[in-house]
Amino acid sequence: MDRKQLDAWLMAEQGGEEDAADAALAHLFAAVPKVQPRSAFVEQVVVTAWRWRVRRRRLLAGAWTAAAALIIAGAAITYFASPLLGGSAVRAIAFLTGHTVPWLIAYASVALHGWLTLGHVGAVVASALITPGRVAVVVGVELLGILAFYALHRIASAERFGDAQV
Amino acid sequence: MAVQRSDAELARDARSGSEAAYRELVARYATPAVNFTHRFVHDRALAEDLAQEGFLRVYQRLNTYDPDRKFSSWFFQVLRNVTIDYLRVNRLPTASLDALQEGGHQAAAVDRESASPEELAGRGELASAIGAALSRIRPDYREVVVLRYQEGLTQPEIAEILGLPAGTVKTYLHRARKELAEILTAQGWGPGATEPTAGKAV
Repeated sequence: MDRKQLDAWLMAEQGGEEDAADAALAHLFAAVPKVQPRSAFVEQVVVTAWRWRVRRRRLLAGAWTAAAALIIAGAAITYFASPLLGGSAVRAIAFLTGHTVPWLIAYASVALHGWLTLGHVGAVVASALITPGRVAVVVGVELLGILAFYALHRIASAERFGDAQV
Repeated sequence: MAVQRSDAELARDARSGSEAAYRELVARYATPAVNFTHRFVHDRALAEDLAQEGFLRVYQRLNTYDPDRKFSSWFFQVLRNVTIDYLRVNRLPTASLDALQEGGHQAAAVDRESASPEELAGRGELASAIGAALSRIRPDYREVVVLRYQEGLTQPEIAEILGLPAGTVKTYLHRARKELAEILTAQGWGPGATEPTAGKAV
């Protein structure tokens, strides 16, 4: 870089010569010394990227494993508990029908206290369906689902924001 | 003679898992990336950190790269976003000439064999003066100047990177050049001047 290049640009600028000024400044900048990265820079960048790649693969493998486990657990629950669930469903329907229909007809015929009627129906349904075992199964499945969603959310965040710590 | 592979080919191979391809891409863009970020943070170590973050983000998003698009445009767009994210969180002071000189402008890439000591000193001083003048203009002007004159991109490429109309880029370049010229002239670097004061103070 020398003063001649600088002077050529400044004169072109003063003279309003757009193209000449553009070319002269480009010429001037070409001679501006560059900041050189450290010699280990390239290696460091590659190592960082590959570490991220390994972490991401592990995370994906974990998410797939969790999803597969969830599906297998759901299938197992359905297979082993289906007779019990089927019988319970029939019993619940019979119970509901036996208790609510006459009661509903009686109350409907009187046509009073609609909200009270609804409350009674809800209480009967709840007493027929809710048992500690079923609640435990439902909560367990929900927790597994939440864990799977959390893992997918982490993956999505890593994709979107480039979080190297994932 | 081995044919040099294009950036798009290297990006495609890196996306497929080729470490060598990614390494070649990083080697090609290491210096431009560090110089680009250095113009905004004025600190070599920080510039390298931001450039590294840019390269990592590029790797993470290689699956979104369109090979029909020029790789350098896409790369600088990603790097610019990384730099902007950093600058939004961390406000930095304007660089002094001393900081620019410590950052390596004086030392690097000067042809020491073909120049006298006086010429070398003059070149270093002029480079520092240009760097300091660049750090004093508006950041959006500085951005187009760096992309146009330091990285050698065309106006349409700069418009694509910055998401601006081509006419706006042209206007920014025109105004940025005017401002740079005014700053340097005011410091005594104008035609015919013999004792410039730019190297002494900013």
